[in-house]
Amino acid sequence: MTGAELLIKLLTERGVDSIFGYPGGAIMPIYDALYQSPVKHYLCRHEQGGAFSAIGYARASGKVGVCMATSGPGATNLITSLADALLDSVPVVAITGQVSQAVAGTDAFQEVDVLGLSLTVTKHSFYVRNVNDLAATLDEAFRLAQSGRPGPVLVDIPKDVQLAQVDYHPARLTAVDTQPHDALGGHLDAIAKARALLAAAQKPIAYIGGGVHMADALPELNAFLTATGIPAVTTLKAMGSVEKANPHYLGMLGMHGTQAANLAVQQTDLLLCLGARFDDRVTGNLKKFAPEAKVIHIDIDPAEINKLRFAEVAMLGDLKALLPAMTAAGDYRAWQAHCAALKQQYGWRYDHPGERIYAPLLLKQLSERMPDNSVVSCDVGQHQMWVAQHMSFNSPRNHLSSGGLGTMGFGLPAAIGAKISRPQDTSVLVTGDGSFMMNVQELATIKRFRLPVKIVVIDNQRLGMVKQWQQLFFAGRYSETDLSDNPDFVSLAAAFAIPGHSISHKDEVESALDAMFSWPGPYLLHVRIDETDNVWPLVPPGAANHDMMTDLPQWEE
Amino acid sequence: MSHQHTLTIHTRHEAVAIERLLQVTRYRGFTLAGLELKPLADVSGLLVTLSVVSDKPISLLVNQLNKLYDVLDLELHQAEAGALRA
Repeated sequence: MTGAELLIKLLTERGVDSIFGYPGGAIMPIYDALYQSPVKHYLCRHEQGGAFSAIGYARASGKVGVCMATSGPGATNLITSLADALLDSVPVVAITGQVSQAVAGTDAFQEVDVLGLSLTVTKHSFYVRNVNDLAATLDEAFRLAQSGRPGPVLVDIPKDVQLAQVDYHPARLTAVDTQPHDALGGHLDAIAKARALLAAAQKPIAYIGGGVHMADALPELNAFLTATGIPAVTTLKAMGSVEKANPHYLGMLGMHGTQAANLAVQQTDLLLCLGARFDDRVTGNLKKFAPEAKVIHIDIDPAEINKLRFAEVAMLGDLKALLPAMTAAGDYRAWQAHCAALKQQYGWRYDHPGERIYAPLLLKQLSERMPDNSVVSCDVGQHQMWVAQHMSFNSPRNHLSSGGLGTMGFGLPAAIGAKISRPQDTSVLVTGDGSFMMNVQELATIKRFRLPVKIVVIDNQRLGMVKQWQQLFFAGRYSETDLSDNPDFVSLAAAFAIPGHSISHKDEVESALDAMFSWPGPYLLHVRIDETDNVWPLVPPGAANHDMMTDLPQWEE
Repeated sequence: MSHQHTLTIHTRHEAVAIERLLQVTRYRGFTLAGLELKPLADVSGLLVTLSVVSDKPISLLVNQLNKLYDVLDLELHQAEAGALRA
């Protein structure tokens, strides 16, 4: 068989059921091998969209996402998505066609140095020189994507390798590196120190990141939180990690986190950092972050330990094994009561006057009305933060948000990938009028595959988050943030055979949500909001997290 | 205050390994002060001696380089190794 046929056969054996991609000259042998193969290929309308769909597929399902592109522009269009996957630790394997080795390095048609270009946005990139190395390289790519801290891996395959003849051997399916769940060796001293710190602490906080669910350690996390009674905060990526019934959960921390979460973290004497990395959007001014706290840091990535914040106790290992070993009941009643009071004092308010739609309330209503286990994808900007603040999730796999890279255009293709990976669950996209237009061509993918994705476009006719910063920190000089010439989004959707409806008054919301969810296919709900609505609270640049701006809603000014 | 550090790194026998070492060194805020490179006699890899200068803790670079797929072994020269542990 050819290298291309071998590739598809190996992917099939590996259980890959969905590939997101776009064909082109240098990958034609692989697309020929794909023709009538059992692997389902989803033709996206831009390689970036294809790779974001692979990310959505991976994040919603926990499996490896696979995307394909041709050489040159096809491969360069993957780069943003690969960077997104790297920063959010998403296991993705990208397969690119490359010009034949006979013309490599000659600036051939659609030739670009994909290996060199992609290395900084992947865990690793491979260039396959010999068809006899193809199987082992693919095996290694899947192993690497899932091992340790997951991430994207790229395999660049020249056309001559795709066409070369090769003997088939069954896939070896190398096991992913995981530590045995009972393996605590090497951590016993650290565990003892951590337990001592927990016993001595008066005001501990669990700071939970995306690494916990990626370690498949949510049951252990929630057992730990229940047994210890330690109040908890989460990062954007970890939302949905803490059981809704936990009374000591304070919400998201950071730049647009809840006041209760940020104030509690600033007051804590022991910060238990679990699978998180002290990102600047979390810490605000790093030197003033949790200033009284000792730190216990547990992560799978050695490069994250002491990178930004010194840890009194650090453990490199499997949270699934380490959390039970650290569990000890403590008496934090006074601290719990204090945190509960913060939560009560700084709760959200939805009692806005007037007839216009207030996005936080709309999202709360959406959250309450969507079916259980819906997957919510969102884009980047004000709506993204409102989603994090006002919607609730019962799993991090139900909240797909571009956290590390903050990529506008993420949402629509991610929602497509989520729907394909979990066809029985509802896929909801919450997007903004700016972000939606960045990968709007993927509406054609929804149409082609009749994917019943529910799209909510929150439209303030502005690049809202940039405008908010211009208002607050650039003297109201609104440079290039006016989108008042947006298209008619309902008509745009109709061009892709997607029905929709536009609303602008709050008394329209409930019936509009009912109409959207009761419609059997894809649907676009266009929601007009006021461009003056901003995201609060906000930690200004350079400030400590307790110095939040909490501008009152306009009707109270 | 800037310090100079010297690392000895055993990589796979791939040119891309050197690209990665230099890219990570630059991106993580370390200035290249010296680079020596020779293939191992049995062609099993490359032996790279990398000298860098930075005011950042060398552990930040060591931890990032150790994650690279093509890095098989990395040794911080003894004097700096003591400082790293401290």
